[in-house]
Amino acid sequence: MKPFIMKTADTRGSFSPSLIIGIVATAALFCVPSFVQSPYALHMMILLFLSTIVGESWNIIGGYTGQYSVGHAAYYGAGAYGTLILLHKWDIPPWYGMWAGIAAALVLSLIIGSICFRLRGPYFVLASIAVAEIVRITVLNTPGLTNGAEGILLSDLPPLTIGGTVITDFVSKVPFYYISLVLAIFTIVVTWLLQNSKLGYYFQAIREDQDAAHSLGISLKLYKNIALAISAVLTSLAGSFYAIYIKFIDPTTVLALDLSVQIVLIAIIGGIGTIYGPMIGAMVLVPLSEALRSNVIAQGLINSGLVREDSGPGIFLKEHLAHAHVLIYGILVVVVILFMPDGVLGFVKKLTKKRG
Amino acid sequence: MTFSVFVQALISGILVGGVYALIGIGLTIIFGVMRVINFAHGDLMMVGMYLTYFLFTLAGIDPFLSVIITIPLMFIFGGILQKVFINRIIGTLPQNQILLTIGLGLIMSNTAMLAFTSDYKILTTTYSSSSVNILGISVSQPLAVSFLITAGITALLYWFFMKTDTGQAIRATAQDREAAQLMGINVKRMSIISFGLGASLAGTAGALISPTYYIFPQVGSAFTLKAFVITVLGGMGSILGATLGGVIIGVVESVGAVTISSDWKDVLVFSIFLLVLLIKPAGLMGKSRM
Amino acid sequence: MAILEIKHVSKFFGGLAANSDVSFAMTEGMIMGLIGPNGAGKTTLFNCITGYYAPSKGEVRFKGKLMNGLEPDAVCKLGMARTWQKVRPLAKMTVADNVMVGALCRTNSLKTARDLAMEQIKVVKLDKKVNFLAGGLTIGERKKLEVARVLATKPELLLLDEVMGGLNPAESEDIIQLILDIKKTGITQMVIEHDMKAIMRISDRIVVLNSGEKLAEGAPEEIVSNPEVVTAYLGESH
Repeated sequence: MKPFIMKTADTRGSFSPSLIIGIVATAALFCVPSFVQSPYALHMMILLFLSTIVGESWNIIGGYTGQYSVGHAAYYGAGAYGTLILLHKWDIPPWYGMWAGIAAALVLSLIIGSICFRLRGPYFVLASIAVAEIVRITVLNTPGLTNGAEGILLSDLPPLTIGGTVITDFVSKVPFYYISLVLAIFTIVVTWLLQNSKLGYYFQAIREDQDAAHSLGISLKLYKNIALAISAVLTSLAGSFYAIYIKFIDPTTVLALDLSVQIVLIAIIGGIGTIYGPMIGAMVLVPLSEALRSNVIAQGLINSGLVREDSGPGIFLKEHLAHAHVLIYGILVVVVILFMPDGVLGFVKKLTKKRG
Repeated sequence: MTFSVFVQALISGILVGGVYALIGIGLTIIFGVMRVINFAHGDLMMVGMYLTYFLFTLAGIDPFLSVIITIPLMFIFGGILQKVFINRIIGTLPQNQILLTIGLGLIMSNTAMLAFTSDYKILTTTYSSSSVNILGISVSQPLAVSFLITAGITALLYWFFMKTDTGQAIRATAQDREAAQLMGINVKRMSIISFGLGASLAGTAGALISPTYYIFPQVGSAFTLKAFVITVLGGMGSILGATLGGVIIGVVESVGAVTISSDWKDVLVFSIFLLVLLIKPAGLMGKSRM
Repeated sequence: MAILEIKHVSKFFGGLAANSDVSFAMTEGMIMGLIGPNGAGKTTLFNCITGYYAPSKGEVRFKGKLMNGLEPDAVCKLGMARTWQKVRPLAKMTVADNVMVGALCRTNSLKTARDLAMEQIKVVKLDKKVNFLAGGLTIGERKKLEVARVLATKPELLLLDEVMGGLNPAESEDIIQLILDIKKTGITQMVIEHDMKAIMRISDRIVVLNSGEKLAEGAPEEIVSNPEVVTAYLGESH
């Protein structure tokens, strides 16, 4: 085996260049709505932030602690349903409702943790999937509370008022842009803080070698549960945001296995167990998804002359490629696992090392 | 709920359980030999279902007869999957293996969706709704036939693993891959054969179940999860365990549907799964190492 | 008071007795050698002592406190730490980070942990490779890393499982010196080893296990001239 005499990639120090880039980028992102008015562009950015949030959150339990949950939709759905049920049924504003989502996600994570963490690797994956499915089916079958398969449709968000002044009435996308940006930064900061803390060291030790970690004074139960709880809470925040932004949720959109797989994909495409990984994953998946959905790719293939518009493949592409994004996810997963197990970041590193 | 309804559910459950057992056996063989958790297993079954459907609608071949075609075709398909994709990740992180098979499953189900649309297809034969009278109890005929075929296949499998050289080589590989290799067994080929076998069993289960189930691209995922419950319940790597597990789950589902409700039967199944993982993760036949 | 008491410890796996009625005691500061042919039950005993297995019968007492059934992390926090026969580096973390994980057992501050870690890294002489990923070290370096890591947990009793396994003579000599230096700091040690010369040099007393049972106990000279011990090793290819 070629010895990898690499120095640690992830920055540990307090005032590293990455931090400065991060601050500059954040400032820039905050200014964007002043220059960009297009609701479509803002929507894309919001999706990017949302994907970053779920990716970074998953990373805490999956990438850093090495416990691959493929059932994170349960926490996302907990946030979404918690928020909307309270709003829809009892007119409780989402700033309070999201706490219900957080509480539900926390309880779920503790239950899942206590059952599943004694299981190793693949069995943990299976158990996480089973629990998420139980949650989904339960939500589906309790229409009294959740409207079942119909889902919950929100007509209007109550305006945000502080004191007597209305801050926003949530008609434009701009407030959502800022909320999701703040959430994304929050998640990234939490990850960064964790990375540079005792918790972070312990999480990674558990990932690297569970038994060794155990023998070094690390309580596996305690720390796995802490990691999962943090991850669950952050994911539920994302779900709550999704609910008030899109204003429609049902078990298929916020609790399905597809969603759980997508979340994992975001984290592993970029590079698992790194802060940048999920951001890169989001930057790959969101535009790709959108390009498929809006037929940009199909149109592009046709315009470039590779495919004739009225040919069999041409018609097929135009009609169907839009629905194919899950297929593309599947292909991406396979490609990443086979050829880029360390994600885009790892792949790039390998390339640059070979040259340097 | 009357006693006769209960008995009917019980018998149906056992019959369906036979088909479930096939799915479970396929999965457990794959895990036993390669320690790969095949998350695309249900989708392999879906492929078998569509294969059977088209053989029926386009060529008029009865689904139970077409098993003769399905088995070898699915075997080849499985072998190709193993050789091209799965062989590359044996021995890597189990989490990566699961993700790879999840990806393959997504590709299969979504290709089916693009090719055949999400419309539910129904395969109706002349005997799809007929029933047979066994010991005074009315039982669905297709279920009864599929149970018989399952029993036959299981007997064949038993003969294969116990009496043939290849079968024993596969068992050796499952027990200790390195030792088997040292003894001169081509473990890569054994893996290909095992995956082919697992795929053909899944495909056959799909074929057998197609007269009585809706056929649609996403049908696989429900069965994948069920397959895992069955194999964990029975003990990963144990064929007898998978058989038992299949029958138990078939019965639980069937009886659960008439006692509690059919909406919640999946929750029941998953709860059993979690219970097994909690109490005796090695399953009934407890061969796995965890 | 003995720092460690093994009282009639047995461990059964199904019908197999991996350890059978093993008893001995260790006094503070000593080095106890634990030897025996392969399969004698040495690592199993380690696992029983450090909480990976619960003994089927008997008691393990550390400083008088009953240890049966405690989790490995609790055992470590109480002052007993072990290394692994098959070395277990935290591969994707640096040498410094590896040892810090050990040090964090005793402190919540990263800074304190880093200082503690650097001390131990210097003790094992790995300071030139502080920022190297553990996965890229040679086997000798990994063994040293594991010792440093475990020393960072500030143990009172250190259990070393074949820490010289797979090392060349120069590396083994380093380890022997390390063990003797550790003894000078007052830490008690139990050492499983196949290298008889090394065991002779470092041990104050030796316990011999064979087929799960305690075959003999005594000073190195007694053990080496014990005919039963010699027989137990005949047929062993060393």
